Amino acid sequence: MERVLTDFVKVLRNSNVQASPAETLDAISVINTIGLKDRELLKKSLSLTLSKTPQEKREFYRCFDEFFNSELILDNPIKNLQKNKTNEVKEVSSNLGSLLIESDQADIMLSIAESAERADIAEIKYFTQRAVFTRRILENMGVSELEDEVRLMSGVGQDGQPSALEKELRLNLSNLREKVSDYVEKQFLLYGDISGEHLREKIFKSLNMGQIDKSYMHEVHSLVRKMAKKLVNLHSRRKKNHRKGKLDIRKTLRENWSNQGILFSLNWKYKKVDRPKLLVVCDVSGSVGAYARFMLMFLFSLTEVVSKIRAFVFSSELGEITDDFKKQQIEPAIELALSRHGGGSTDYGQALSDFVSLCLDDIDRKTTVVILGDARNNFGPDKSHLLKLVYDRAKQVYWLNPEGKYRWDTGDSVMTTYSAHCTKVMQCGTLSQLERVISTLLRTSI
Amino acid sequence: MKKGPSEEISKIKKGFSKLKYICNDQIATAVYLAKTLEKPILIEGPPGVGKTELANTASLYLNKELYRLQCYEGLDESKALYEWRYGKQLLYTQILKEQLGDVLKDAKGLKESLSRLMDFEDIFFSEDFLESRPLLQSLSNKNGSVLLIDEIDKADEEFEALLLEILSEFQISIPELGTIKSENKPLVFLTSNNSREIGDALKRRCLHLYIPFPEAKLERQIIKTRVPELNKNIQKQLVNFVQGLRDLDLKKVPAISESIDWARTLILLSAKELDEKLARETLNVLLKYQQDIEVTQKEIPRLIKESASR
Repeated sequence: MERVLTDFVKVLRNSNVQASPAETLDAISVINTIGLKDRELLKKSLSLTLSKTPQEKREFYRCFDEFFNSELILDNPIKNLQKNKTNEVKEVSSNLGSLLIESDQADIMLSIAESAERADIAEIKYFTQRAVFTRRILENMGVSELEDEVRLMSGVGQDGQPSALEKELRLNLSNLREKVSDYVEKQFLLYGDISGEHLREKIFKSLNMGQIDKSYMHEVHSLVRKMAKKLVNLHSRRKKNHRKGKLDIRKTLRENWSNQGILFSLNWKYKKVDRPKLLVVCDVSGSVGAYARFMLMFLFSLTEVVSKIRAFVFSSELGEITDDFKKQQIEPAIELALSRHGGGSTDYGQALSDFVSLCLDDIDRKTTVVILGDARNNFGPDKSHLLKLVYDRAKQVYWLNPEGKYRWDTGDSVMTTYSAHCTKVMQCGTLSQLERVISTLLRTSI
Repeated sequence: MKKGPSEEISKIKKGFSKLKYICNDQIATAVYLAKTLEKPILIEGPPGVGKTELANTASLYLNKELYRLQCYEGLDESKALYEWRYGKQLLYTQILKEQLGDVLKDAKGLKESLSRLMDFEDIFFSEDFLESRPLLQSLSNKNGSVLLIDEIDKADEEFEALLLEILSEFQISIPELGTIKSENKPLVFLTSNNSREIGDALKRRCLHLYIPFPEAKLERQIIKTRVPELNKNIQKQLVNFVQGLRDLDLKKVPAISESIDWARTLILLSAKELDEKLARETLNVLLKYQQDIEVTQKEIPRLIKESASR
């Protein structure tokens, strides 16, 4: 029983229902009280312990139906056919052969399930493993023995014609192959499907963002959303710095008034942690456009932990795109921004002076300015004094450069000139780097 | 002989419906499991589907006292668990001071005074000066009780951490006194409107019950038990109308409690049939936002027509 349940929990986890070991133990005690007789009751009871959000409940019901149904599927017509023929059949020596001919479908399915368990079907991860597992299950059922028998028989028949028994065995054998491969397919969908996705996600995270093909954009977006959700969970708690610092005299006196002014309970002043105000400036010229896309995607998925965010994009001239993002979905908004402002040659000097004239007044001591760009200025004039203006007013200025460090300051890159006026310059070429960067950004903006 | 779980569950269902709380199998199963496994239930769902009512009914059904803790931002242990009666403690020290004079009157030297002081019974931190709040009251009730922690999502996250010990071990640690363990474990209900995500640690300790809006059949049954005066025809129309409303894009969808209010309104107006005019005039019982009312006004003729035909 435990084995079945842990397999089921594994299936649940594959479908993004995060059931913990403690919850699995609860589920076992639920089964012990409820018993296994009433399927509907069991389903309802298990759903109480194993799934803890409405979405998870939906997934749970789907998984339950699939998992506990795949075992016994009876297709009656073939069964009848077999029953009719059994009368004529002579001796069959191999175990599997007699099973195929004499038993009904339920027994065969049961035997498949048993052999599958011996073959550790629950370990299946990738779709390429399907053939291996199919063969392994067939071997466990003793298929090679049967194959040998059929081969021996093929010579025996009269007039070169195969005997009725041989025909039937062959038919049953190919049916069995089909059944097992169907079974493996189903199990793969239950156990393995997600592992491939994990692998893909891992690759996406470590791949340079400029090289991710556009056709994967949808998957990457959902990945980005997942990563953003993780960051939100991490940073959404507004920590209060209690019990250190100063005594809140006014509050303490007021609270202890009823005790004749004797200070029994003390109240401390605390700092509330503010959510950062972000100004994001993105270079969307040809070379960096792809990175800007991911960065904006990421930041606008973070609205829960960022109190205020304004986004600007530029290649030569700067434009604000905050409203576009608020009005529509993230993906079309990014497309629009890129088509409107993208392309063209970069001019950091022009962009910075636009930025300063547009919103220098908005920058205060709570603001974090994030600039994404490769600092390739096309040999334009150096206007780093403008960045100094921003740096002096803002809480912090981050510069994110998608290029590897070894390429900074080569050719027309002027990273060092600008980095003098930044709190921190960081490299962000891959999604996992971006995640780390944004996490520090949220933490240090406290 | 001990009864099987399915009989127990249908018994709960019947008992609840006698108390005018109509529930489906899922809810009854949750209550049964919570009772047998001694685990708290976390109830989520849209407002007005009877989350709080479930706890009330359970307390009536089990004939046990209900302790209710309404959560809000800034709720802390002194309001939820216990507090010392500072004023009384103050008086006590004053009395003590007078008594001490007698005790120490003929003591010689510091050492003897100190040892007499040590022998003196001290009740400064004792249950006499403990003001227990709902959680402690519920745990220390010897007959068992029902504890309702309402709208846990409104409380701070620190408060959640405070609940963990109570919900898993059914005990409270008071630093000055030690651990107080519950003799007869209470049945705990937590409700949440999902205004923020509840922490995983808390969720893990609870059974999780999600109560959605009821289906038409169940809702009709609920209205029948709650407002029996309403005639059958209009009751059917009303339920269909509300079910139709829930499909519209509204800011706040009407819940069961609103349907019940509406049913009572219709009785008050002694309505014979639900028509357009009546619906238009009493819509503000169902909908709580002006913009929702505006959206619905246009749809009323269609909804009325559908609700009559269905």
